[in-house]
Amino acid sequence: MRTWIDLAMGPLFAVTFLFMLIGLLRHLIQQLDTLFRRKAGRLRHMPWRKMARDSLGWVVPIRHLTSGNVLFSNSSFIFHIGAILVPLFYAGHIALWEKLFAVSLPALSATVADTLTIITILALLVLLASRLGNTKLRTINRSSDTAVLIVVLLPFLTGFFAAHPTMNPLPWQAMFLMHLLSAELLFVLVPLTKLSHIVLFFFDRISEMHWQLKPGAGDRVAETLFGKGAKI
Amino acid sequence: METLDRTRRVKDILWVCVFAGLLAMLFRFIFGLGATTNLDDHVPWGLWKIFNMVGGAALATSGFTIGFLGHVLHIKPFDRLVKPAILVAFLGYGSSLFALLFDIGLPWRFWHPFVFWNPHSFLFEVFWCVSFYFLVTFFELSPSLLERTRMTRLQHSLKKAAPWLVVIGITLSSLHHTSLGSLFLVTPQRLHVLWYSPMISLLFIISAMGGGMMLLGLIKLLYHWWYTPGELIVGIQRKQSMVCATDPESATDGEPASASPLREVRALAIAGSVVLTLYLILKLADLLLRPEASSALFEGTWESWLFLSEMLIATVLPIGLIFSQRVRHSANGLAFVCGLGASGLALNRMNVGIFGYFRDAGEVYFPSLIEWAITVGVLAMAGLAFFFIVEQFSIFTNHRKPVSDTQLALGSSFDRLTRVWNHRLLTGFERVTLIALIVLPISWWLLYPPYWPETPEPVSPPLALDSERDTLRIDANRNGYEVLFAHAEHRQRLGTETSCTSCHHLTLPGDQATPCSHCHVAMEERSPLFDHDHHTAAVAAAEQFHGLQPENQSCACCHTLGAYHAASTAKGCLECHREDMHPVDPPDDPNGLMHASSYHSAMHQTCIECHRKEKEAAGRPDLDRCTTCHQPMPGFKPRPEEGEKLDAASSLVELAAKKRGL
Repeated sequence: MRTWIDLAMGPLFAVTFLFMLIGLLRHLIQQLDTLFRRKAGRLRHMPWRKMARDSLGWVVPIRHLTSGNVLFSNSSFIFHIGAILVPLFYAGHIALWEKLFAVSLPALSATVADTLTIITILALLVLLASRLGNTKLRTINRSSDTAVLIVVLLPFLTGFFAAHPTMNPLPWQAMFLMHLLSAELLFVLVPLTKLSHIVLFFFDRISEMHWQLKPGAGDRVAETLFGKGAKI
Repeated sequence: METLDRTRRVKDILWVCVFAGLLAMLFRFIFGLGATTNLDDHVPWGLWKIFNMVGGAALATSGFTIGFLGHVLHIKPFDRLVKPAILVAFLGYGSSLFALLFDIGLPWRFWHPFVFWNPHSFLFEVFWCVSFYFLVTFFELSPSLLERTRMTRLQHSLKKAAPWLVVIGITLSSLHHTSLGSLFLVTPQRLHVLWYSPMISLLFIISAMGGGMMLLGLIKLLYHWWYTPGELIVGIQRKQSMVCATDPESATDGEPASASPLREVRALAIAGSVVLTLYLILKLADLLLRPEASSALFEGTWESWLFLSEMLIATVLPIGLIFSQRVRHSANGLAFVCGLGASGLALNRMNVGIFGYFRDAGEVYFPSLIEWAITVGVLAMAGLAFFFIVEQFSIFTNHRKPVSDTQLALGSSFDRLTRVWNHRLLTGFERVTLIALIVLPISWWLLYPPYWPETPEPVSPPLALDSERDTLRIDANRNGYEVLFAHAEHRQRLGTETSCTSCHHLTLPGDQATPCSHCHVAMEERSPLFDHDHHTAAVAAAEQFHGLQPENQSCACCHTLGAYHAASTAKGCLECHREDMHPVDPPDDPNGLMHASSYHSAMHQTCIECHRKEKEAAGRPDLDRCTTCHQPMPGFKPRPEEGEKLDAASSLVELAAKKRGL
């Protein structure tokens, strides 16, 4: 067990983390390349203000939280808060960042981290249930969407048990190993699946493609909605 | 389309090597030579110096030989080969110098030989010539590079200076090639007698001239195979029509015969073989003149077989094959001959520099993975630079053929791996970043030095390890050099029962006197003392925890629940073990007992500190010197002091005991 943990903490972590970093960097470079080299002519005609408003509208999604599928959009929003804060600022991870990048981040207190983790897990379960239970969502659901949710859920679940050994149904080391391996699986999948919206989100309004839509799909939707010649 | 695919595949492989090489270069600078290479004091140079530097410079000689044949003597097929030859020289010398940057211990001092002269050193001369010759090749190449700019006046003056540059180039080349050979003259005890020859400098430059031409021929063939395979076929067809000789007219129409690349390669291979024949004659004469070498030739040793196969690959086979008309007139045959000549030259340099050289080192040198990665990475960089230059400038042809990357994805491209649509990305760009994504993490695993630590040198416990013996033989390395420690005498003198704790500062829980080597396990590295798994099991058993996983309840015994669990936030060892581990002078840091220092420093600290304190009281100023404890080397006779007679067998410990009247 100790050898497996050493392997998962050492080389496997480095390899998967590097894969994620380089993969995201590759997305970023490709997007910038698209933006400045291929679309340079269109840059002048872009509705920057509208695009910024739209993007910010998804960062602080007050408009989106009160209409449509309220349960789904709210749990998605809440999930994102936990998903960004806990992996970065949980006290146990701070030591990791210090070792890797020599930066010390402020740590969340244990209570806050625990609460956030539980809320995130609940939000993820709600998302999973809606995807499988809601008829409308089920029709547009791909198996990869469900799989991605489960892969994101695993590190939170195992991490919570690893941090609370008394509630842990498995031996501590086994749970810790599962936490490491599930996080590493997530690292590998980040640049390969729609999780790459970590980087691609910022190009969302410009390149209309991070949800794996075909190029020009946004323009076609705009055309259908607002008539010929309309651009997003 | 097909040719583009061919270069694409080669470029992909080169990019794989480049990314792995870049990572290896980073690690070499961060971790230093000792951690990243298999070099040491016995094997001070290896793959980088011999293959990249000595071999690389030798293979790049075509720059001056072809420059001489083409620019000075104006021999017909060679004048068309001057530009490619200079490109090969530029890239060869550039990569040699670049690889040297990683080989020297303090890379930021690479400019020192320019300022701090050491005219007695062959390497000083080599460095000056190689770096200046690199500059010369750059100037020689620059007219081709400037073709696309409007600097016509500069181009004109550079072209005018070309013959002079060639002359300077020839001078510098012949100087440093002979010096590289002479370098080995100073080590007759290391280099095997088969290669150690008084005229090794002459052999070096002549073999380099022959092998360099062969390499240029190979590169020329590869270029046409990649970019204009049609021309090679045309050349073969014309040859067939000429051999049939049905219609002499038909052979001359169409392109002039001199345009055939095969003809130029043939000229190169023949010229190379002529030079190699000269080399073979000199080599045979050298063997005959030195009887000790000719007798070693068929001894059946590893070196004799290496030497024979080197001679076969480098000289006999290429020279023999070039006589065959079938070989001379086929692209594959010529490629084989040229490949043999070039690899034979590389093998010769490896034999002289490594295989036939480190016989007395007492160990087998095999380059580490990082050494391979940098060697191959540097060559791959040169290869990519080659592709870039021949595609952008007119090197092999007189007119520049714009090679546009026509494999632009039309409209949009779908990245299969990440399943993301991109707008009109260049395939090359996508592929290179994809290669980086896959190669960099894997090479991190394979190359990162801390993942592949050398097994620490284990310590063996002293012989006679019991309190009844008078003297302990501490021979931690088991290499025959030992310290005789008069245990009983120390114990007696320092106060029998109460004296144990003056040295034994900590024991295993429940033990009375734990031997030093039990915790200080590694000779030079510190070793962990704390066994986490053992503690969780032991604490759970002792506290009689119940539940689903009783061991999980034990965390709270040492760690604060809710806080970050690490050694720094856990209980100190002595909070539980103060009674049963007999600590003497325990460290203030609660985690100070996590690791045991190396055996080397533990022994020295314990003994020397006490000896230093006691030397005044004992009236013996030599008490804290090395020789007080360490036995003299076998055969070394210590100087008798103050009329005392020493027989060779008596140890210094006995001497000390005698002095004190014991």
